[in-house]
Amino acid sequence: MVVDHDGRGVAEVVVAITPTAAMPATAHPAVVKPAVMDQRNREFAPRVLVVGVGTGVEFPNNDSVSHQVYSFSAAKRFQLPLYKGQPHPPVTFDRPGLVVLGCNIHDSMVGYIYVTDALYFGTTSADGAFSLKDLPTGEYRVVVWGPYIADAPASLVRTIHVDNQPATVRFQLSLALRARPEPRPRRRDWDY
Amino acid sequence: MPWVRRLLLVGLVLWTGAAAAQDRFSVNGDVDLRWVQASGETSFLNGGLGILRFDSDHEGFELGRAFLAPSWRATDIMSVNAVIDAYGDGDRNAVDLSEFYLDVRPFPTGPIRWRARVGAFFMPVSLENRGIGWTNVYSITPSAANTWIGEEFRTIGTELEARWLGASSGYFGEVAVIAAAYGWNDPAGVLLTSRGFGLTDRPSELFGGLGRPPLDFYHEIDRKVGYYGGLSWTHHDWLELRALRYDNHGDPGAATEAGGSAWRTRFTSLGASVEPIEHWTFIAQYLDGDTTVGADSLGPQQFYLRFHTDFVLGSVDWAHERLTVRYDDFDTHEVRGSYAPPVDQTGHGWTFAWSHRFGEHWQSVVEWLRVASVFPPREELGESPAQVESQFQLAVRYRFKLAW
Repeated sequence: MVVDHDGRGVAEVVVAITPTAAMPATAHPAVVKPAVMDQRNREFAPRVLVVGVGTGVEFPNNDSVSHQVYSFSAAKRFQLPLYKGQPHPPVTFDRPGLVVLGCNIHDSMVGYIYVTDALYFGTTSADGAFSLKDLPTGEYRVVVWGPYIADAPASLVRTIHVDNQPATVRFQLSLALRARPEPRPRRRDWDY
Repeated sequence: MPWVRRLLLVGLVLWTGAAAAQDRFSVNGDVDLRWVQASGETSFLNGGLGILRFDSDHEGFELGRAFLAPSWRATDIMSVNAVIDAYGDGDRNAVDLSEFYLDVRPFPTGPIRWRARVGAFFMPVSLENRGIGWTNVYSITPSAANTWIGEEFRTIGTELEARWLGASSGYFGEVAVIAAAYGWNDPAGVLLTSRGFGLTDRPSELFGGLGRPPLDFYHEIDRKVGYYGGLSWTHHDWLELRALRYDNHGDPGAATEAGGSAWRTRFTSLGASVEPIEHWTFIAQYLDGDTTVGADSLGPQQFYLRFHTDFVLGSVDWAHERLTVRYDDFDTHEVRGSYAPPVDQTGHGWTFAWSHRFGEHWQSVVEWLRVASVFPPREELGESPAQVESQFQLAVRYRFKLAW
């Protein structure tokens, strides 16, 4: 659970969970199919995507306008030339780190792909919650990250022990979020 | 500038032919029909010294504007754009160009994104005229400041922009530095002198003119390169600041055999757009500058005009509606020169606009504006220098976009 300094849930926060000790091979989750970073209404959807190292990500454009997706982040530099639909093959993210996405035509479009080597990961829902079932017994390191979180990264790490009982980790942010978590509705100025 | 015209025509032909087989060609179009009621002095567009677009001899049904804005994305980073207009008001050409330029945007390889425009285009100064072809998204008629920019200025040259993309550094905003070098804008200042500031949605065309007899604005007379430099800062998605310094670097002593003169026109524009809460927008812009014509050897007879205008605008939108109110203030002052009476103008105006969008393609806008101004040269037309003009417009607009 991730809540802001007023106790309200914070959505679109990456939660990455890594066992502190080596796990038996059977505990490793199965390889997932390619993830999807969609483009709708001139926004990336989701705005924050978390994937494991080596995962391919598809970038379908379901907008009525063309996009040119790019990133110059150290974790992954790539460009997808002008397109609609899904003409490009998935992009493989093979290094951990944060990848900031942009569109060379629409500067207001910003998206994030958090590439992690954690065993378990996901993003919080609207109420700030993220849950996992059937986590093997053991000790885990939990890291959270969000584009709007202003707290120091060192304060966003916890260690928990999991056994047969449900375990909960609560991150309460001490600093206000850096920007509104929700994007504004697009101007209704008919500026096409 | 006949060679420019030939170049543009050749470009258009090549562009149309090459684009036929592409999947990267789009056309935005707009037809804007008006019902107008106006009172006050004859508009300067019709030979008077009224500062609005329409007057009592030009009421009823009018063509507001019809334009086509084709765009061809020639490569992934390069597009060719044009705006082709018709106003139906007897301009020199029934159909003309207001913009024609190449836009180059390389993919960013770092936090600085470069962009270049080459051709003829509007300078990035208005926070109102955000639509294609200098269209105003808040009302029909732009402010006095942006009316004037649309009338007398077009960048015919090159503009370079370096934009710092803050998202890559965790900052939700951008900072841009803009610089441009251009020519063919030496007459800029002649309309401001002969009429003062106006409030119209009638920008000039590249090959046309404004007024009776028409004033032209896009000539190179002194063979000197003008420039502008600007800064813009976007903070999150609710604050945008813009500053721009313009100097056409004209030689006020230069003139053509036909009587055309180069004006040295300089101004500074500062603008802010704030959206403190959803659906509310507030814009303010301040523009201050001067213009000079006549050789330096004329001494006190050399014409020198200072000018200033500012406006504040508030706008709220909900569902398919937008309500806007704006207050304009403007003045010009003949510091030196031999005009008698002097071309000193003072004025202010209120604009109220209500737009309603119905469906994807249709929009209606009701606008009423009232402007009071004093301009002594009106005496030469047998009219009082002080005039109060008002104008009611109902616009019905149809817009479309086609893409191949």
